[in-house]
Amino acid sequence: MNLNTSILKYIEDVKSGLFTVEEFTAATLQRIKDVDVDVHAYLSLNDSAINDAKLIDQKISSGGKIGRCYGFPISIKDNICITGTKTTCASKILENFVAPYTATVVNRLHAEDAVITGKTNLDEFAMGLTTEFSAFGPTKNPWNLDYVPGGSSGGSAASVAANECLASLGSDTGGSVRNPASFCSIVGLKPTYGLISRYGLISYANSIEQIGPMTKTVKDSAFLLNIIAGQDVNDDTTIDNNNVNYLENIEDGIEGKKIGIIKEMTSSDGLSSEVSTATKDAINDFESLGASCEEVTLPTIHYTVAAYYTIASTEAGSNLARYDNIRYGYELESEGYEYNSYISKSRTKFGPEVTRRIILGGFVPSAGHAGKYFLKALKVKSKLISEVNTAFKKFDYMISPTAPVQPFKFGEKIDDPVTLMLLDYNTVTANLTGKPAISIPYRVVNGLPIGMQIMANSLEEKSLLQAAYALESKTILPEVPL
Amino acid sequence: MVDEEEIIRVAKLMKIDLEDHTEHVSRVKKMLEYFDILDQIDLSSEEITSQEKSLTELRKDEFIPNDKKLIESLKNFREHYVRAPKMN
Amino acid sequence: MTKIGLEIHCQLTKLESKLFCSCKANYREFEPNHNICPVCMGLPGSLPRLNQKAVESATSIAMALSCETPEKIAFFRKNYFYPDLPKNFQITQLNVYGDMSVGGEGYVSVEDKKIKIRRIQLEEDPGRIIYEGASERTKITLVDYNRAGTPLVEIVTDPDFESPRQVRIFLNILSDLLENLGVAEPGLEGAMRADGNVSIEGGNKVEIKNIGSFHDLEKALHFEITRQQSLFERDIEIAQETRHWDDRRKITVSSRSKEEDQDYRYFLENDIPWVKIDQSTRDALKENMPESISSKKDRYVEKFDIAPQVAEIIASNRYYSKLFENSYSNSNAKDIANLITTDVIGFIDTKEKQQNSKITSQHLSDLIDAINSKTITRNSAKVALQEIMKTGKDTKIILNELDLGQVSDSSEIDTIISQIFEDEKQAVIDAKERPETVNFLVGKVMQKTNGKADPVKTLELIKLKLGQ
Repeated sequence: MNLNTSILKYIEDVKSGLFTVEEFTAATLQRIKDVDVDVHAYLSLNDSAINDAKLIDQKISSGGKIGRCYGFPISIKDNICITGTKTTCASKILENFVAPYTATVVNRLHAEDAVITGKTNLDEFAMGLTTEFSAFGPTKNPWNLDYVPGGSSGGSAASVAANECLASLGSDTGGSVRNPASFCSIVGLKPTYGLISRYGLISYANSIEQIGPMTKTVKDSAFLLNIIAGQDVNDDTTIDNNNVNYLENIEDGIEGKKIGIIKEMTSSDGLSSEVSTATKDAINDFESLGASCEEVTLPTIHYTVAAYYTIASTEAGSNLARYDNIRYGYELESEGYEYNSYISKSRTKFGPEVTRRIILGGFVPSAGHAGKYFLKALKVKSKLISEVNTAFKKFDYMISPTAPVQPFKFGEKIDDPVTLMLLDYNTVTANLTGKPAISIPYRVVNGLPIGMQIMANSLEEKSLLQAAYALESKTILPEVPL
Repeated sequence: MVDEEEIIRVAKLMKIDLEDHTEHVSRVKKMLEYFDILDQIDLSSEEITSQEKSLTELRKDEFIPNDKKLIESLKNFREHYVRAPKMN
Repeated sequence: MTKIGLEIHCQLTKLESKLFCSCKANYREFEPNHNICPVCMGLPGSLPRLNQKAVESATSIAMALSCETPEKIAFFRKNYFYPDLPKNFQITQLNVYGDMSVGGEGYVSVEDKKIKIRRIQLEEDPGRIIYEGASERTKITLVDYNRAGTPLVEIVTDPDFESPRQVRIFLNILSDLLENLGVAEPGLEGAMRADGNVSIEGGNKVEIKNIGSFHDLEKALHFEITRQQSLFERDIEIAQETRHWDDRRKITVSSRSKEEDQDYRYFLENDIPWVKIDQSTRDALKENMPESISSKKDRYVEKFDIAPQVAEIIASNRYYSKLFENSYSNSNAKDIANLITTDVIGFIDTKEKQQNSKITSQHLSDLIDAINSKTITRNSAKVALQEIMKTGKDTKIILNELDLGQVSDSSEIDTIISQIFEDEKQAVIDAKERPETVNFLVGKVMQKTNGKADPVKTLELIKLKLGQ
């Protein structure tokens, strides 16, 4: 059975009887058994996956109503709640937390008969770019096991890239879907803020993060978006998308469209030479597809990494305050402790990066410092939004490479905090402005993937996917060696 | 220049115990020093904005009873109450 | 020159659900921790959902207090750690990016003073903590989250009060007003709390927190004023600080060490969009508000010629005004009003009695009719009311059962008068000499007849007999 297939092809094959849902699920689970000991994409597996698959097969053979997903296997990042399952955020402090309710996006998948394979690894509480900050060990890049898969949705990206499932749901706060998608050579979409419900997504920076589909192909991304996008009563920040069908007309192409090449994100001294070359080739590809490309400058981008980390850590400091081990958490007898010391002791379970971000998040909005850091960061956000909105008056899309470098080895970047932060340089703009952005796999050089990022204006996912599809049609990529 | 004493004071406020991890302080300091870049941009004319909704789009006032067993699935629950450590 | 300001918290218990989730707003009937859900427990991944009616109620309160109301409101996070806060932050309001809390710049008239209402904000109540165990060492903290997320309106005044007495009057006016609006039940235990701040002679302002009831508030204010005065007299500077009310020792105690380190790191609550409340919405809210107390009072005085003090009493109380409004006709309004304020009030003077009383507007109308047609005396009506309050039976039935029919038959009264004259020989002599003492004899007749004798006729007949 060929596990290196797309959702749409899989559905076709099940419909035509080439294999059953159970057969494909079993093969997927076997694949996980074979490779995950090396890749470590998964933190936990769904015990009832085969049963769920069998039920769907029964529905198919009895002619009952079947959900649009036809039982395709999908993994879920472990910061998204599913009732009765451990939802750990890759943190020791939630090691034994069993979610008592299910996230809206997972409910929507269940309703359409998707099969959940398991929960995937991440940087602890989604804070990181390499999945090296997981409390349960890092995930390896399926393209080369000595290299990082990107982060924070590293487990999600690796599970798809290694054919351990056909898609995954990750979360993107500063690039956490797009960055690992780029590093693992898959498609990763961060939608417009408010398009996908965050109910059940354990918050890190709630004003800028979104759940995003991670798939092998652009069409699969559109398919998944159709299932999970749309207003949710459980999330006041969701917006009405008028039931757009993202798959429809996805092959329309980009003839006559105007594309802005973001100067600040594509200057050659910020990029590795391989990424720089790939970017130039991608621009040529866009032009050969009939679009016109022109450089655009967005000077505020220079300040976005600082603004992003200031805002994100402030929100994280507040969102993670609830982890005081009193209502849920891990076993620690409170006898002998006084309130403050109990909480501080419990919170020593946070890993080093989360600890640092919480301290930052207490510092930058504090009474004496808010003016210098947090309030300025909010204003950078406002200024960036105006700048980007102005650019979108002229351009249909704006592009850049997703990451300034290719994947690197474990331990290479983790020691210098500023270097690490700057890996987000090309991705945080979409989060701060709330605009949709997608990373598509463009090239593999020396066995290591490079992804291209396309950004569109708010709620323009349909158009964005058309551009992504067009570029994808120009790319020829090798298969993952694993 | 960011005062390290200040960072330690903030850590305490955030209920973060730094006893064995003083290396965090210097790393946080480095990050804060990078944020100095925010001083270089002119933000005088910027205003804070947000998503907006109208009153009628909000949740209707209805009582919907929840699963009585929720409290039992959380820890530290014994005989009706959640037990917290003693307060000073 | 004493200056007192208040911070009042009032629960919106008339709402069906909490501020950010669909658990019950009035948590009192539940077993501990049985009125909770993932949202009000702040479980990982949960999100707040703002209650539309809570915003409307809070806006109505703002308008009733003559406040300005903004076009958009926003919510903020107040971050601090405490066991009763499931998220370790409280979602509240602040006026940081312009005026974005539900209302501000209003006033309430207290006697001849205008007390300025600085702002009104909507926020969530935390859970409740109970301490168990006798000694410091064995004390454990028990938490009940049923109350967490209950909608609260916080009303902040300027330090315009000059005395604790003024504060008391204000709080009564405010309670009546909130109850009249139909959004709150100030009489419910714990539904309305107030903290205060005190300064004297232009000195530093001292905040007083942890005050359990309005009764305690007055005590605390008195204590604090005295404390500050004694410091002032000895030329000692009054420290600007927060103190808490120690109910056991009945004193205020400095809590400076706790407050000093606090940094709430206020920032926007981004899970809740800014809510637009346009002018037409606000106009509609204003139109649908129940009639205000002062408007009712004016109406009673003008339309029915009811005495202002009587009108004030009825208008200020939702229970009485309802009784009144449903029982009067154009001819007997004044009588009904008097009946309420002289008799009913005496019997039904607590919220509990109001809830349990079986007196209806129909009963009042019937009684007034009976009095005016001389079927019973005013006194008898009083007796009847007590019985009606307990049983709620039809007025006619009660009057019959208790045999309260007025005795107006002259010969019947005459017989009783003769008896009294026999028993009270000295009083008869006194009455002949000093006519003004005749009421003693009238009183005796009333006593003998259980108040049923027609007092006018009785007096007539006694005077006749004395003259003989």
